[in-house]
Amino acid sequence: MGMFKTAEKLEEVLVGFFKLMADTPVIADKLLKSNLIIRFNYADPDLVVVVDASGDKLDVRPHDTDTKAIVEMSMSADIAHRFWFGMVNLTKALTRKEMVAKGPIPKVLKLLPAIKPSYAMYPQYLEANGFGEYNITKAYTPPSA
Amino acid sequence: MGGYAGQILYIDLSTGSIEKKPLDMDYARKHIGGLGFGTQIYLDLIKNHPDFDALSEANPFVLMTGPLTGLKINGVARWTVGTKSPLTGFWGDANVGGYFGARLKFAGYDGIVITGKAEKPSYIFINDDDVEIRDAQKYWGKDIYETTDELSADLKTESKKPGQVVCIGPAGEQLIKFASIINNKRHVAGRTGMGTVWGSKNLKAIYVSGSGSLEVSNPDKLKELKEELKTVYEESIVIDALRSSGTPAHIDVGIISGDIPIKNWQMTDWDDIDEIGPGAIEEKLFAGHKTCYGCSIACKKDAEVKDGPYKMEKGPSPEYETVGTFGPMCLNTNIESIAKANDICNRYGIDTITCGATIAFAIECFENGLITETDTEGIKLTWGNAEAIVKMTEKIAKKEGFGALLAEGSAKAALKIGKNASDFLTTVKGLEAPMHDPRGAHGYGLAYGISPRGACHEASLNFNVEGGAQYIPEIETLSKDYEEFSSDERAQLNVACQDYGMFFSSCAVFCNLGSTPLTATHAISMVNYVTGFDYTLDEIINIGKRVWYLKRGLTNLFGARAKDDRLPKRLMTEMDDGPTEGSVPDMDKMLSEFYELRSFNENGIPTKKVLEDVGLQDLAALLNNV
Repeated sequence: MGMFKTAEKLEEVLVGFFKLMADTPVIADKLLKSNLIIRFNYADPDLVVVVDASGDKLDVRPHDTDTKAIVEMSMSADIAHRFWFGMVNLTKALTRKEMVAKGPIPKVLKLLPAIKPSYAMYPQYLEANGFGEYNITKAYTPPSA
Repeated sequence: MGGYAGQILYIDLSTGSIEKKPLDMDYARKHIGGLGFGTQIYLDLIKNHPDFDALSEANPFVLMTGPLTGLKINGVARWTVGTKSPLTGFWGDANVGGYFGARLKFAGYDGIVITGKAEKPSYIFINDDDVEIRDAQKYWGKDIYETTDELSADLKTESKKPGQVVCIGPAGEQLIKFASIINNKRHVAGRTGMGTVWGSKNLKAIYVSGSGSLEVSNPDKLKELKEELKTVYEESIVIDALRSSGTPAHIDVGIISGDIPIKNWQMTDWDDIDEIGPGAIEEKLFAGHKTCYGCSIACKKDAEVKDGPYKMEKGPSPEYETVGTFGPMCLNTNIESIAKANDICNRYGIDTITCGATIAFAIECFENGLITETDTEGIKLTWGNAEAIVKMTEKIAKKEGFGALLAEGSAKAALKIGKNASDFLTTVKGLEAPMHDPRGAHGYGLAYGISPRGACHEASLNFNVEGGAQYIPEIETLSKDYEEFSSDERAQLNVACQDYGMFFSSCAVFCNLGSTPLTATHAISMVNYVTGFDYTLDEIINIGKRVWYLKRGLTNLFGARAKDDRLPKRLMTEMDDGPTEGSVPDMDKMLSEFYELRSFNENGIPTKKVLEDVGLQDLAALLNNV
């Protein structure tokens, strides 16, 4: 059993965070330039989320299995969670197939600098939205402190 | 026996003697090839008089291919060079791709041993059996591109097949301490001043043309393996990224993990990274794909800057390390200027890592008032000043004014500049560290510390394995998970990366980029199918171990001691923020564990017993006397 006991909780946490990123211009504007449609396939628990950067706004669609994605990323929910803390060695995860990526991966890699600010946002987002139990940052300090 | 060409050339530039010695197959089995041959031959040549200057004629130079070089397989075009380094004073070597190694083998030679010093500028002409030392005065003073083009044109009627040129530029001739040797204008043996040694020997170039071919002992098995590897390569993310963007693909990954040193290792986070990343390179520089002999990956790229102050004609695009040293290290956001600096380094023949890192060091000296515009002849060496960075690169390449001081490398420049200049150094054993930060991956710190040639990410497979691009499922130490930001178990990891790495990228000689998807089973099978030997994993690990001790022993013989295994203060300074915040390698712990695993004494020298156990009796006797 991973960190997230149910798919509903995973969706609540991760989709909420993706929507926060979609509303954060410093991240969303750069992602939109890619025009990519990425489907994340999470396991343990299972969840599918499409992040669509092909339009004017970054669209986050859970349970979308119909849209033809340009990139498919598959991984466990725990790896995904750790990734947003900046705690996953991405090269290693991809090499060892802890993350499996299909599609034009070099285009996805080019998005990494754009999403870098999200690493600092994720623990703050968890704390601010009542998901503190999922904050695995050891030295997390609330912004108000 | 397959794979090998079957002869080694011995050329004495002092006497003009040229000797072709057959390659003994027992010797080949014991040493595999590459620096397995090179280090042993080098030791045999110097063991009776090991005390000499790197730029004296007593310093031999070895150039060796591996048993796979010249075959049409991804990632095996590599060849190696080795000698005492004029930059560090210790053992130096470099590993290079391109076409020269293949052509040398087609001419019938597995390697060349060069001794002595020519009376006047010379080049070596090789056309199958015909080997001559020829006058190179016509080419002396010419840059790498001119020399390559003119030699190729002048000699094309003398050989059945087109030849390949490997040469030095004006930097090597002028004994700039980090001069490189370059094949075909873009394949560079860059680190530790290999080209400087050629300059000291009055050796401008080697031209080789070969009309022969190589045999493979078990072609059917090799074909099957190549078929199997097609899928492995298709599924490899690393290969995908290399095909697309070349080595600069690492910029996008490195910036999120804190791997990229910024502002002379004072920052790990930089909002301007996109200005010099793969996207910017694609948009502003990209002018085509290039590759090495027999390799379909084509990780090399061409660049072109059509106009503006950094205009450059189509030529090699900067690699990751070059972008790193001339870009983030200097806070330089101008990718065209980085391409221009790279072009200058390639034409004059200097190592871009040492050059860029030395300029970053000089900028910090300037910004802190240790040097002024009077010293730099009016160049404002400030952070992010692209024009100044390019101008200083040219001054170094020409050994002109303040550039002449920096042409000694940053460690020697710091001694001349004085005050607290050494605080800004990023060198280990006098070699500037590459663009991978050990504060994010502590094992890199140990790898830089104990590398025989100084701070280097390619001296073993540690960067590939700890960094995550390569894993070897057959060897537990090279496939397990390690705690991030920890120094635990890094000594064991480094030992395994050295032993397997010596087989892989020093002896066989696999490419650390194009061969990353290979498991040990793949790699050993390939060598066995080609050579007809029946190496086992244990055997190649033992060979790798011996080669590593030999490199380390040579460095010890040239004076390196435990104090030289330490990281500079700058690399051991905690970052206040960013991905590596608060993390520094625990060098005391890692070195202590490593010394025990490698049976080093307190001076950092391998014990007589361990050297004898691995079959290095001569080295044991030599080191017992120091």
